[in-house]
Amino acid sequence: MNHCRSWEHGWSRRRMLGAVAGGAGVAGLGGMLQPAVAEEMARSDKQILLIWLDGGMSQLESWDPKPNTPFGGPFRSIPTTLPGIHVSELMPKLSQQMKRLAVVRSMKTEDANHSSGVPKILRGQPRNRGVTYPYLGSAVAKLMGPTESGLPPYVWVKPGNGGFIAKHAGFLGAKYGALALGDGKPPANLVRPDSISSAADEARQELRRRFNRQFSDRRRGNFNEANSYVYDVAGTLMKHVELFDETKLPEKDRRRYGTHDLGRHALLARRLIEAGVRFVQVTSYGWDTHGDNFNSHASRMPKVDQSVTALIEDLYDRGLDERVLVVMMAEFGRTPRINGSVGRDHWPNAWSVAMAGCGIRPGTVVGETLPDGTDVKTTPYDIGHMFHTWFSAVGLDSAEAEYMNGTQPLPIAHDDMHKVDELLI
Amino acid sequence: MRQLLVLLVACLAAADGSQRVQAAEVPLHEVIDQLVESRAGKQPLAPMSDDAEFLRRVMLDLAGRIPTVAEARRFLGETAAGKRFTLIDALLSGDDYARRMQELFHVMLMERRGEHAEWTKFLRHAFDQNLPWDRVARAMLSPDATDENLRGAAYFLTARLTKEGAMAPVDVPGLTRDVGRLMAGVDFGCAQCHDHVSIEDYKQVDFQGLHMIFENMQSRGGEFPAVTEKVMAKPREFKSVFTRDARTTPLRIPGAGNVAIRTFPKGQEYSVAPDRKAKRTGVLKFSPLRELADGLATGKNPLFARNIVNRLWFVMLGRGLVEPLDLFHSANPPTHPELLDRLAGEFVSHKFDIKWLLGQLARTRCYQRSSRLPGDRPLPPPTSYAVANQKRLSAEQLFWSTLIATGEIDRVKNANDATLEQVVARTEPLVELQKQFLKTFSNPPKEPEVDFAPTVKGALYLMHDQAVLDLVKPRPGNLVTKLAAEPDAGKLSEVLFLAVVSRGPTTADVQVVAKLLENKTGAARIEAIGQLAWALLASTEFCLNH
Repeated sequence: MNHCRSWEHGWSRRRMLGAVAGGAGVAGLGGMLQPAVAEEMARSDKQILLIWLDGGMSQLESWDPKPNTPFGGPFRSIPTTLPGIHVSELMPKLSQQMKRLAVVRSMKTEDANHSSGVPKILRGQPRNRGVTYPYLGSAVAKLMGPTESGLPPYVWVKPGNGGFIAKHAGFLGAKYGALALGDGKPPANLVRPDSISSAADEARQELRRRFNRQFSDRRRGNFNEANSYVYDVAGTLMKHVELFDETKLPEKDRRRYGTHDLGRHALLARRLIEAGVRFVQVTSYGWDTHGDNFNSHASRMPKVDQSVTALIEDLYDRGLDERVLVVMMAEFGRTPRINGSVGRDHWPNAWSVAMAGCGIRPGTVVGETLPDGTDVKTTPYDIGHMFHTWFSAVGLDSAEAEYMNGTQPLPIAHDDMHKVDELLI
Repeated sequence: MRQLLVLLVACLAAADGSQRVQAAEVPLHEVIDQLVESRAGKQPLAPMSDDAEFLRRVMLDLAGRIPTVAEARRFLGETAAGKRFTLIDALLSGDDYARRMQELFHVMLMERRGEHAEWTKFLRHAFDQNLPWDRVARAMLSPDATDENLRGAAYFLTARLTKEGAMAPVDVPGLTRDVGRLMAGVDFGCAQCHDHVSIEDYKQVDFQGLHMIFENMQSRGGEFPAVTEKVMAKPREFKSVFTRDARTTPLRIPGAGNVAIRTFPKGQEYSVAPDRKAKRTGVLKFSPLRELADGLATGKNPLFARNIVNRLWFVMLGRGLVEPLDLFHSANPPTHPELLDRLAGEFVSHKFDIKWLLGQLARTRCYQRSSRLPGDRPLPPPTSYAVANQKRLSAEQLFWSTLIATGEIDRVKNANDATLEQVVARTEPLVELQKQFLKTFSNPPKEPEVDFAPTVKGALYLMHDQAVLDLVKPRPGNLVTKLAAEPDAGKLSEVLFLAVVSRGPTTADVQVVAKLLENKTGAARIEAIGQLAWALLASTEFCLNH
């Protein structure tokens, strides 16, 4: 078990001194990256939607099928709207969206364990500086902040329990954690009880703000700022309470996305994006198909196919594709070798990631695996390359922008890696 | 070798410091102020806190709660010159002290891993009796199952040896790391598999030599927390994942170095043999845990005293002399090196007396400065202690203070209640409220509660939870009811502000109250009073120790 934490860092003395000398105002900005970048990003209207298939979706039963090979499994491949490109027959709807998508078939990452692999992928696995990096959602929350909507910048729609998940934020600090909506339900205590009228609520909040102003005068301000911020976010969330009322949704939408968890959560994600949440993650659990891989995928893939297609269609219909980046991935793919339980095990050596929307070149397939799918044949890409690519897609120069961890500047994506130009417009 | 030298130097410095202090007749708090103020140099100094600011601060720190209106009036009306020192001594010997310390050390040492009645009993006993810190630490590191008052200390070890789900192994390395962090201020966590990549002093051998002690031990199970140890026969073998060199180490104690393993012929390892039938674990002639306690929990170990005085300094002054609190090493020196030496030295020569040290810290000018700096000069950095640092309130401090502020205690208490805890224990809704406060305002397990970290969850809870809202509804005997009976806005403000934020209202405050209540009568007036009480409860002023 590795226990390295945020402050266990190995910074270069030269860079540290440079940061102190050159950035007198840095600490005042709450440890932000370069102030100019921060300001520019805060005005950006770009958003990100991440669909996370926890446990590891099989690339062979989705983006990179190998029919009629020893490891290919029982499913056929089907043509797509992109000439020459085939995907698994388990994705008939997505095959028709292929001209809008970009797929990387040459992902090659390091960690084959769930417990360490999930955080590594979601953190973009930067070079180890002994610092706990933020998950992608927390990173975006920090780098871009909330949109004009004032809604919390990182919302996580997931089955099971909700809450405020601070640990995703790593060294950035709890504020950048995820607001998790368990089963799409609103956070506890979101709804104002009937006993307090809207006017009465505003009256007491105004008193609170007034007392806070007086208190913070000539005291170190960051404490009051932090405390006021959480009340502001709470107030903004309350204004969007209708987001959590599924009964008001058109029946047609519900049918298109599907009434299963992933469908309901993807639909909520679209509405959260429309409402202005900067980063939404939708998680689907249970993809760790060590046993009975093919029946599992036969029942799971249609849900992905249905809900993600509906999502892509809606983003295009609404013109949101120009400012919303959609990414679909897991912590790794699955072994080409089929094990004794008719399952596939963990396979970080050769797997696929899909994306669409903002900044992404539509109709792109990058990379290729060996005929039996066991390894990457072309240039392998690591998750760090994807982080550079996605940051670039939403207008962040990841080669330039840095976090400040105290006095320690930190790259926002792996500093030995780079964006993949083929994927970008 | 290098880190041994570093530790040796630190050790000499500490010993030297204590001798000098004994020679001088200046009380420690005076020495502290001289050292802090000389280092602050030309920084603008905040004035001393007024009595109200001081009272609230010192009560939160030493009693774990804000003062009642009666306590505040009594202290503010007192005219004796030495009244602050008198108050400090009264709090240190008062009813709340042991409860506050129990809560404080529980959070510090367990980091919200859970609760155990035996552990609570141990902590309460330790602070009721003002046991010296070396004794308290020894009870945790080498638990004695035969001492009913202290045996619960084993929970420090056993709570860290529980499985957390089917896939997660018992985190013994985490225990090793926590002993280093919490008892010696050194976090070897990153040196488990190789020498620390950026901290020169932290070597893999330090981790492995400490880790073998806990690998050799296990939780015994049963009605109270307890551990057993195996016979340790040979040094530990380990490899660096970087160099792949195979190495061995005997026991290593942070701050004290190697302890050779003593072996005995088979059958002679115990001085008291274990007896399964009598459920007696036996006493090993060579007990690694006992060696750990001997080597760590002693004045001869420089890290041991420095760690705890730094943590107590943090509790009182809002910032550690070394930060992070668990990252003592030669490239991360204290902000006030001489001060840390003096504190550690005197703490050892005062026999690890926590109560004495807290009393000295509370007497300093740097503790008693205002957190507000009038004028227009930039606020000096927190490490200068020229302006008092604002501190996070724990969930426990918030809970007790909320009950006092809203008059909930007055409402439900009866003549038989001796303590706050008794009032809550026999009042079902308050037991639940306490649970909710802890759930809402604590950090998640294993995250040290160091920084002020307000959450949206906390805000929504105070805004909308019915049990919280009930506290600011008029109910016989509570604050809002008392205020509602007061027709004069000035007098009402006086009670309101004293009750919730432990100070008299400013002129502006009175104006706000008067304007809000103007022309309101009956239910509307009572509702407005409830809004005032809520706004103060939800204010930054209330949720900080400032």
